[in-house]
Amino acid sequence: MTSDVQLATRPADVSARDRVDAAKNLVVSFVLNGKPLSVAVAPTELLADTLREGLGLTGTKVACGTGDCGTCTAILDGEAVRSCLMLTAMVAGKTVETIEGLAGESDIHPIQQAFIDTGAVQCGYCTPGMILAAKALLDENPKPSADDIKEAISGNLCRCTGYTKIIEAIDKVANAVA
Amino acid sequence: MEKLDIVGQSKQRVDALVKVTGQAKYSADLRRPDMLIAKALFAKYPHAIIKSIDVSKAEKLDGVAAVMTAKDLPGRNGYGILVPDKPVIAERKTKYEGDPVAIVAAVNLDTAEKAIALIEVVYEPLHAYDDPREAMKDDAVKIHEQHPAAEKGNILCVLKLDRGDVDKAFAEADIVIENDYETPMVDHAYLEPDIAIAELDSTTGGLILTSAGQAVYATKRCLAPVFGLPQSKVRVVAPVIGGGFGGKEDSTLDVCAVAGVLALKTRRPVYFELTRAEVFRTTGKRHASYIKHRLAANRDGKIVAIDVQTILDKGAYVSMGGTKAPLHGVTMRTLVYAGGTYAIPNARARAYSVFTNHPYSCAFRGFGAPQVQFAVECQIDELAHRIGMDPVAVRTLNMLKDGDMTITGQIMKESRGLGLGECIQKVTQRIKWDQPIDHGKGPVRRGKGFGAFIYGTGIPLAFEGSSAFANLELDGTLNVAVSSTEMGQGIATTVAQLAAQTFGVKYESVDVVFSDTGRSPDSGPTVGSRSAVMVGNAVAEACRQLRSRLLEVAGKQFFQADPSTLTIKDGLVYVEGRPENAEKVATIAARAFVSQVPLSVIGTWFPPQPTFNSADGQGEPYHAYGFGAHAVEIEVDTETGVINVLRSVLACDVGKAINPAIVEGQMEGGAAQAVGYGLMEEPIMAAGVMQNTGFHNYMIPTTKDLPDLESVIVEHSNELGPYGAKGIGEPPLIAGAPAIRNAIYDAIGVKINIIPLTPRRVLEAIRQQAGQAR
Repeated sequence: MTSDVQLATRPADVSARDRVDAAKNLVVSFVLNGKPLSVAVAPTELLADTLREGLGLTGTKVACGTGDCGTCTAILDGEAVRSCLMLTAMVAGKTVETIEGLAGESDIHPIQQAFIDTGAVQCGYCTPGMILAAKALLDENPKPSADDIKEAISGNLCRCTGYTKIIEAIDKVANAVA
Repeated sequence: MEKLDIVGQSKQRVDALVKVTGQAKYSADLRRPDMLIAKALFAKYPHAIIKSIDVSKAEKLDGVAAVMTAKDLPGRNGYGILVPDKPVIAERKTKYEGDPVAIVAAVNLDTAEKAIALIEVVYEPLHAYDDPREAMKDDAVKIHEQHPAAEKGNILCVLKLDRGDVDKAFAEADIVIENDYETPMVDHAYLEPDIAIAELDSTTGGLILTSAGQAVYATKRCLAPVFGLPQSKVRVVAPVIGGGFGGKEDSTLDVCAVAGVLALKTRRPVYFELTRAEVFRTTGKRHASYIKHRLAANRDGKIVAIDVQTILDKGAYVSMGGTKAPLHGVTMRTLVYAGGTYAIPNARARAYSVFTNHPYSCAFRGFGAPQVQFAVECQIDELAHRIGMDPVAVRTLNMLKDGDMTITGQIMKESRGLGLGECIQKVTQRIKWDQPIDHGKGPVRRGKGFGAFIYGTGIPLAFEGSSAFANLELDGTLNVAVSSTEMGQGIATTVAQLAAQTFGVKYESVDVVFSDTGRSPDSGPTVGSRSAVMVGNAVAEACRQLRSRLLEVAGKQFFQADPSTLTIKDGLVYVEGRPENAEKVATIAARAFVSQVPLSVIGTWFPPQPTFNSADGQGEPYHAYGFGAHAVEIEVDTETGVINVLRSVLACDVGKAINPAIVEGQMEGGAAQAVGYGLMEEPIMAAGVMQNTGFHNYMIPTTKDLPDLESVIVEHSNELGPYGAKGIGEPPLIAGAPAIRNAIYDAIGVKINIIPLTPRRVLEAIRQQAGQAR
């Protein structure tokens, strides 16, 4: 078995700005949105930064940087996590899902559709994290109660909606899945 | 009447798909590797003399492109929406902890942070003012040694409203109710932090600013002098915004000013993002208020007079607090709404706006109305209890009706929409107001509470009005451009629906460009619950012009018919009643194009000129008002002081819901923020330093803090609104906090006049009352 974390022979040249960052001398391998991937990162690099800056997946938001708001939610081996509090090195050998991985080639995910249909989207900054928290819940518990839904997204802040339509959207998906 | 098939429908938001898939590009997502990263060194002391600044070590650090202090600025060191009193970089003095003392641009964030740490500043700290009642005293240290607008000492302005004979009315009244109320500063807590990208415009030699801001034209006008550039050379673009709530009318100026001067200095693109702690410490807040409210009434429940004194915590700068005419801001609203939504013949109100060393108080959903209407709604509840009348009945008895006059002397007209009575009726029915509630017997008690509100649509400034651009494309699609920003409230969708309905194409055939001074005419700022009405009317006007031009061509060149007999629907033109003989809009547009008929038009709309005299508070500041009623059921744990909101039923008269789902979204969001305002949110300030600067100690409502938020849309048409609409962005916040406070009284008979009603405050009040009873 080979390790999913390796020291790179030379720092990966990601961008001009990154050249003066700490050396990206760590290669981390993981599965991102269904595809195996290796990225060169600094040992201290946060998963949110790797996703947003290294990989250009800006659907993951960072609104607080302290793990309080949930906008940076990603799914790690089936569990909703805060990508702003995790080192990229910690996901070695694991499976990561971001909002960009949810939609299929021709269809968006039922949770995404439900958020549109119920009017659960306003400014949209919480939306990717909220949808991922909902997906992690429904993958684990396809028939959640209203309290289960409230609990699952209680760490995801939304300042626009009062959560009413978000809860309705998640409930709608749960009840549609026979 | 025209049958509406697009307006009034909950059409899918134009931005919904990109937002659920993570493809929507916010300001932070537009950062490129070639951009320098900016950081600011904010004031260590909120009120201090700056003795010296040494930036030499920072300048020598490898990777630093520029370090700037006040002496390095290219233009005026001052800006502000109303008064240019906020420095880009503090020079001699700091006035709050958000004043930058020096700013840095470097190749990456790490280097910028290191450079900031190397800057040495020597301060002489001064007494920092947390309480405007202390700062307004004669012997207080002047926070602004010289201020362009301040009246006296730290008092920025005193505005007055006088109507009728207040002293006589109080002397003759059966009942006088007198109480002091306090409401807190509140952070907007938009999830997207403040961000600006500044780049040189290679075409004009000026600047392009990309920032999450609510007022792109105002930003350009405020900041051009800071950059030493003509306004024509500053282009401001706001991508989709992650929430604003009034705050990003001002905070965008702070980040744009810093990024802009650094871009001019370095000749390179600059990216500047505030951390969440910096957003809390440095950006604007809701005005905290200290209100003395006296209300006189007769035994039959009729209010005869009010006498209100409001002291507002202005924070360090004018921002949207406003001064005397013509620069009306939040202060003026505390006069307009001092009597709430009731017909009161005699009124005296005084509003003091006082500088402190707090973050500048700015626009925030409700703009002064939530503060004074909290007091009014508590007062009227107490009146009801004193005379043994139902609190809702007292409100219905006193509410403004057709022909009644407000305390500013404006006559209310049903033709502009007066739906409060229906809102009250719908809410009381739904929450079963007339049925007694089981208050409970154990430590947990239950209660019901009620609040009502009024809120004017638009901004009561002389320039109020909008322009919009519409361009009919030759394939029959329609482009509309407005300078309003899309911050979640749904203006792009609302505008698309209004355009499609008015012109006659499918909703899907309209695309809306928003918030770019290079691509949109000036539609005014995205504030004041104004956009659906002001901008909506301008868009509708543009579409009417296009429609009549197209029908003219169709009548002459296609149908040989009088244009007034033709119609356009779903992209087809035909003689009314004969859709089988239709021509496509595209076909007629192509003919119009080669017939020298202009297909690009500007639509404009201005409401009746707002008037308001800040010496006596009289005038007609708004053409129309929105109304609403809010009832809650709550639980009080008398052992912990914890309040749990069990039900929230809010009805708002919106004139016409152009998109009901969007209107409900505004109502639910406003109701949620009302729970935060009433129960949870309060910056803790210690000598000007904010102590709770994260979402873990500045708590906003989560799913666990809110019930299912019930909304009822009421539509009393505004004859001047597009399809009858009135503003709905801000109003839903206003009456929730007093409704909760009144419900606590109903539950346990304890009267608390300070919000937020935190467990500690509730427990203290319970114990105090128990102590008095013994």
